[in-house]
Amino acid sequence: MKTYLGELEELVLLTVAALGEEAYGVSIQQDLENRCNRSISIGALHSTITRLEEKGFLKSWLGGATAERGGRSKRFFEITQAGKKAVAEAKTVRDELWSLSKVKLSVR
Amino acid sequence: MKTQPPRLARKLFKWLAGPAFVDDLLGDMDEWFYKNLETHSPFRARVKYWKQVLSLLFSYAIRKRKRQAQLSPFSQRAFSFAIVKNYFIVASRSLNRHRYFTIVNAAGLAIGMSISLLVITMFAYVCTYDNFHVNKNRIFRVISSHEKGVQKYDMASAPIQLADKLKSNLPGIEQVTRITSNFRGEALINNSNVPVQGFYVDPEFLSIFSFELLEGNAATALQKPKSIILTQSSSKKLFGDEPAFGRIIEIVKKGNFEITGILKDPPRNTHFSFESLVSYSTLPVLQTGDVIQYENPFQYGLEFVYMLVRDKKQTGIIESYLSKLAEESGKISEAKINYTLQALTDINPGRDLSMLTGGLGAGWSYSVFIIFGIIALLILLPACFNYTNISIARALKRAKEIGLRKTMGGTRRQIFFQFIAETTVVTLISLTGALLVFFLIRKEFLSMIAFSETLDLSLTAITTGLFILFAIVTGFIAGFVPAVFFSGLNPVQALKNQSPAKAFSGMWLRKSLTVFQFILSFGFIVALIVFARQYRYSMNYDFGFRQENIFDVNLQGVDPDLFASEYSQFSFVHNISFSSDVLGLHSSFGGTWMQMEGTPDSLQVSEMFCDRQYIETLGLKFLAGSNFPDIPWNHEQSIIVNERFLELFGIPGPADAIGKVVRVDRQDLQITGVLKDFHYSSLRESIKSFAFRTNPSQYRHANLNVSFTDAYAGITQMEKLWKKMGNTTAFKGDFLNEEINMAYKSYTSLVKITGFLGFLAISISLLGMLGMVVYTSETRTKEVGIRKVMGASAAGIAYLLSKDYLKLMAWAFVIAIPLSVIIIDKLLSMTQYYSVTLTVWDILAGMVILVGLGVLTISTQTIKTANINPAETLRSE
Repeated sequence: MKTYLGELEELVLLTVAALGEEAYGVSIQQDLENRCNRSISIGALHSTITRLEEKGFLKSWLGGATAERGGRSKRFFEITQAGKKAVAEAKTVRDELWSLSKVKLSVR
Repeated sequence: MKTQPPRLARKLFKWLAGPAFVDDLLGDMDEWFYKNLETHSPFRARVKYWKQVLSLLFSYAIRKRKRQAQLSPFSQRAFSFAIVKNYFIVASRSLNRHRYFTIVNAAGLAIGMSISLLVITMFAYVCTYDNFHVNKNRIFRVISSHEKGVQKYDMASAPIQLADKLKSNLPGIEQVTRITSNFRGEALINNSNVPVQGFYVDPEFLSIFSFELLEGNAATALQKPKSIILTQSSSKKLFGDEPAFGRIIEIVKKGNFEITGILKDPPRNTHFSFESLVSYSTLPVLQTGDVIQYENPFQYGLEFVYMLVRDKKQTGIIESYLSKLAEESGKISEAKINYTLQALTDINPGRDLSMLTGGLGAGWSYSVFIIFGIIALLILLPACFNYTNISIARALKRAKEIGLRKTMGGTRRQIFFQFIAETTVVTLISLTGALLVFFLIRKEFLSMIAFSETLDLSLTAITTGLFILFAIVTGFIAGFVPAVFFSGLNPVQALKNQSPAKAFSGMWLRKSLTVFQFILSFGFIVALIVFARQYRYSMNYDFGFRQENIFDVNLQGVDPDLFASEYSQFSFVHNISFSSDVLGLHSSFGGTWMQMEGTPDSLQVSEMFCDRQYIETLGLKFLAGSNFPDIPWNHEQSIIVNERFLELFGIPGPADAIGKVVRVDRQDLQITGVLKDFHYSSLRESIKSFAFRTNPSQYRHANLNVSFTDAYAGITQMEKLWKKMGNTTAFKGDFLNEEINMAYKSYTSLVKITGFLGFLAISISLLGMLGMVVYTSETRTKEVGIRKVMGASAAGIAYLLSKDYLKLMAWAFVIAIPLSVIIIDKLLSMTQYYSVTLTVWDILAGMVILVGLGVLTISTQTIKTANINPAETLRSE
């Protein structure tokens, strides 16, 4: 089954992968803002995450309690095998398109 | 102190998120908040927090989490079959453990529910009325209201003259039929008369309504004058199994009719009840003149206009046309007249209309069901109260169970539903008991109400479903208060065996419920006593005329002169007089409009036709003037009136009235006598203006002044003579006083109904009290033991245990006595103009009966408890 992967979804997946062990709500949002210049609302982020979980590209678990968050635990995310496949596929498509390009795409 | 995230935002978020897990999100938002605090002002940080909350609230993430939470097996809001099953298992265990209370509760509820079952079945059946017509949604009838002065009539009928105008002027009407419901005749079959009833209808009747014609052509059957369609059962009545179609039958005084069709018997659930349909074109042949009858609403009381419209949305046009017609006819009769449409499906159950049935058939207005519903509730609610009462009383025993459940994680909701389930199990058990009572009383109930032949109270799938639904709803009503009470218990207190915090308010509630039941029972007892007294009162009432030794024979069309000459041969007959009606029987007499010479208004007066002999035979007293002149009758010229008549027309004294001329039915009649008021109608009605007129053509009853030595032999002789005279009908005669007494039979059924309802109400309240007494006696056995050891007497202890209940009874009397005085007095004067009044003795008798029954119930338990050997109860300590 070929599942469509949205642009934001792809970004979130890649960010989760980049963050590794430290991927949770706040860090993902921060990373997206700093690295990709994408400032999105917390609602939009979690909706995207929920959809990714539904598609089986992400899995999550609850961490332990933390003092600075009023004792509330963090929910950590990790990219699944299917998730990896999906981003890899997206990358292949892009690479192929890059290599086929008749126009010089890299601008300096 | 450190700045906190906005509390309101957090609360709102948690509340709207409901059961969904949002801790991680809250944590994230907190983290953001503190981070923002480092770089921004606290205000900015708060605004950002609010923004985050709002963006999350409407996000897909929260919606998804909520949905998941609902499906989670660990959710409090999850509805699973297993937990419901568990509720019922626990409920049946607990009911089984307290078997005695279960039986008392179930018995009480069964009695309470039985009446409601009757009302439910009846209502459900009446709702199916006229559902079988294919065009039911497009059939309407014209209903009318007539207002003149203070008199206002809402009628189901309308003048038939409207039919032609509607049909010819409004294209939106597909078909119209006129119905005149007074076809009454006697068919002459093999030299005997068989009565036949029916309607005069237009041919369209058969195409508007879905009555199935078995033989004959629907299009032509009712075209020609003197055509008649018989129903299957009336054809069987007239001809047995012989084919009736196409035959000619002779109807006495109406001529020969051709049977042009045989109709399949109409189902019971229609508001038409007829044996035959006669072509409307017959009517002008029989009757001369077609007078426009707007003047008096009673004159079109038996006329109906039904129609089939093309589009039911276009009834507005018809209604506005009707109101135009109403205005026209209002001008003629100087009354406020109104014509409106009523949909076929709104007829039963429908609004209150006088002449609701108008000879058509059964009519059920909503008010009938409201009254039945109130009565059913009056019986049902006390039974529910009993349950509530007994359950709360046992709070102490069950508090531990609830405490433990709560400690183990039972939520308020779960305990609430556990109790509701328990009650529902009880009501479902009661339903079987209630059904038994329902089957027992069904027949009796039907015999007591009018139109019972049009009702079918058998169980159907729908009513069974309604019954179960009803049982569940009852369970909810009865179980609601205990469920709220128990689910709100504090587990710590409950486990520590402290009395529940709300026990005091529970006591208060329980007491008022008990008092309410006593009030109800007391009301029924007093009502029963008063109705019984009213019955005797009516039987012995002085009507103001002689009733004894008057034998009333229904002439059934026999010529009065012939009858007189034949029957005067008997030695026991002293004289014979004739009249159009029988005095003292009817609840309402036919009224006519009379006008006094010199006054502009016509006023309504009840009238009756009789000869001069009649007034003498009945011993009516003259205040002024004398009887009708003793000359052979050739035309009407005199009238005799009563005192109220003088009042109505403002004539100062009886003597002034003599010789005055009254204009009635286009004739001038001279008043020859004024009678002292007497009860011409039944005791239900007040005496109003009344007049005697003479006209032999109206005589329908012969009144024989008799003195029998052997009444049986005399009547047999009269019957023989009746046959010898060549009469084909059966002899119909009875003593006047017997006939009047028979008319008050309705009181026996009223006494029966009140008696039965009272019996139910009393048994319910006694059962409730029994449950309470059993409970208190059980819980106080140790106290009783100690008291006995300390020297208390058995009688003293019995008094101690019943004291509380006696107090409640006293309270009930304080409230019930004034209440019942007001209600019963009002009820009596409403239904009965001449009635007994409520006396101190009625009240006292009611009190004695209720206290007697109550004490009897209580003492079965208290005496037992008081006599237990204290050693047995104290040993176990």
